[in-house]
Amino acid sequence: MGWFLITRFTIQEAIRRRLFLTIAILTLLVLVLFGLLIHAAVSRMQENQVANGMDPTLPTLYAGIAISILAMWLVYLVISTMTIFLTISMISGEIEAGTFVVIVPKPLRRAEIIFGKWLGYAFILGLYTLFLSLAFMGIIYWFTGYWPTQAFAAIGMLEMSMLVLLGLITLCGAFVPTAANGAIAVMLFMGAFISSIVQFAIPAQDAMVQNITAVISLIMPTDAMWHGASYYLFPAALGVFQDFSVNSVNTPFTATQPIALPLLTWGILYSLVLPLIAMLRFQRRDL
Amino acid sequence: MSEQAYNRTGGIGTISSRNWEHHDIQRGVPAVQVEHLRKAYGRLVAVNDVSFVMHCGEAFGFLGPNGAGKTSIVKILTGLVAPSGGTVQVLGYPVSHLETRRRIGYLPELPTFHRWLRAQEFLQFHGRLYGLRGAPMQKRCRELLELVGLAGCERQKLGTFSKGMLQRIGLAQALLNQPGLLILDEPTSGLDPLGQRDMRNLILRLKTEGISIFLNSHQLGDVELICDRVAIIHRGQLLKIGPPATLFDEPLVLEVRVNAVSPDLLRRVGAASLAVQRDEADPLRLLVEVQNDEQAANVAAAVHASGTRLFTLQPRRRTLEQLFLRTIESSEH
Repeated sequence: MGWFLITRFTIQEAIRRRLFLTIAILTLLVLVLFGLLIHAAVSRMQENQVANGMDPTLPTLYAGIAISILAMWLVYLVISTMTIFLTISMISGEIEAGTFVVIVPKPLRRAEIIFGKWLGYAFILGLYTLFLSLAFMGIIYWFTGYWPTQAFAAIGMLEMSMLVLLGLITLCGAFVPTAANGAIAVMLFMGAFISSIVQFAIPAQDAMVQNITAVISLIMPTDAMWHGASYYLFPAALGVFQDFSVNSVNTPFTATQPIALPLLTWGILYSLVLPLIAMLRFQRRDL
Repeated sequence: MSEQAYNRTGGIGTISSRNWEHHDIQRGVPAVQVEHLRKAYGRLVAVNDVSFVMHCGEAFGFLGPNGAGKTSIVKILTGLVAPSGGTVQVLGYPVSHLETRRRIGYLPELPTFHRWLRAQEFLQFHGRLYGLRGAPMQKRCRELLELVGLAGCERQKLGTFSKGMLQRIGLAQALLNQPGLLILDEPTSGLDPLGQRDMRNLILRLKTEGISIFLNSHQLGDVELICDRVAIIHRGQLLKIGPPATLFDEPLVLEVRVNAVSPDLLRRVGAASLAVQRDEADPLRLLVEVQNDEQAANVAAAVHASGTRLFTLQPRRRTLEQLFLRTIESSEH
């Protein structure tokens, strides 16, 4: 049960270093500002609609959909940034600081240390992703009445995105110093997003672009996971959806199709196998 | 870790219900058995064909300059580094065995701990890693904090600890499991003279309780005082191994100060010693080489026999550097 002690220690560390408190306060602040903003925007829009003698219900719903996409993309960015900053030093940082030197000789397997840390951070970030997603969706629902019918599928994809990034950072943490790990994570994360923009800007028929973006999605599936999430944020049951999606939804921020099963499977394997490789590497690494 | 702290604890034997005697002594199993150990970091060979045995209940010192390979061997003994070749057994089993590691206590050189932890939380965390739980663990933590002189600091964060306090709490975590083998890497490093003395006294107490102690140190004084046997390592190779008194085969130099230096005094002292010479800096002082304590007593008797008054007779302090260089020189010839 060494891994359980390490997991508990990781969570305790996050709490005790006032990370939780800082993030909780900032998150609350962002949510309050977001609530005030959306309240003002939706109220103004509804007033204009009424003033023009129109029913504001459908425009409000459209606004809810659009705001959901943008807000959840913000959630995706926040979660990814948090994952990078929170976990970047979880292995290499401890090695560099020398704190592992008194833990590793204890009667527990090295793999348990990595697994325990990975699990601790997965738990913390998973909980935060869930909370932040529900909070934003709740505010949007409160002011616009829009709640994605597949909200939990979307949150699941966001969780997958976080786990993919965590898997990569865990792997790199067992191989390279903290600074290099950070550079790799940021560059690949940004690279995946940029490839998505390029794919949008260049005609889809271009085979080379398709191939390059596919390879980038395999190397760093975070953006693919976001696109998977964005699909589930649309109201699948609405009649207007077909028209809305075909014409304007296939963008760097949104998708017309759910994530392909092979890509989802790849993402799941990615988030699990990379930490396993990190455990194997750490098992043999000189400290 | 003052003398008062020691007195409060009433000795290590009273801090635990478990006797510090080890079954390994009865079994005749070595505390550490190293055979043809080799460690290379790429092209750099840090440890080259090192073999030695450390017996259970023994205090074993490891001496050598920086880069000699001492730390590599300590890290191999603690499982932090994997050997490139050879075999290492600790308490009769490979270091990789979890049960073996359950019986090792390790204090690294200038330890770094999680600064946000409080002293008691730190010990509890490491106690749990050793498999301790509940009331026995709480009791053990209290005992050890008392033992290392940190009673009253339970709720103090490690980030506020001084170097000396960190060394002490580090030693406490190494003793949580009542180890069969205690590995100490430069335990007095970074401590002020008072802290060094306290740490030395504590290690001596642990030794008298029968714990096998592997002491990696630059401090010759500590090693001489604490260790039953000493190994000298240089450039990854073991040069010498044996009891400290016999390890360095150089004569002891005595500083003898008298009221007057006469030819008769020089003749008598010369006959009682290996060599004698006058100190150019002080006309009333002689530098006398003797082989052992017996000869030192003879020198004192010779001074008295010549009718000269003896003001001081003291051994000139040997430094690790002097002894080490001498050992290297003799090994190269």
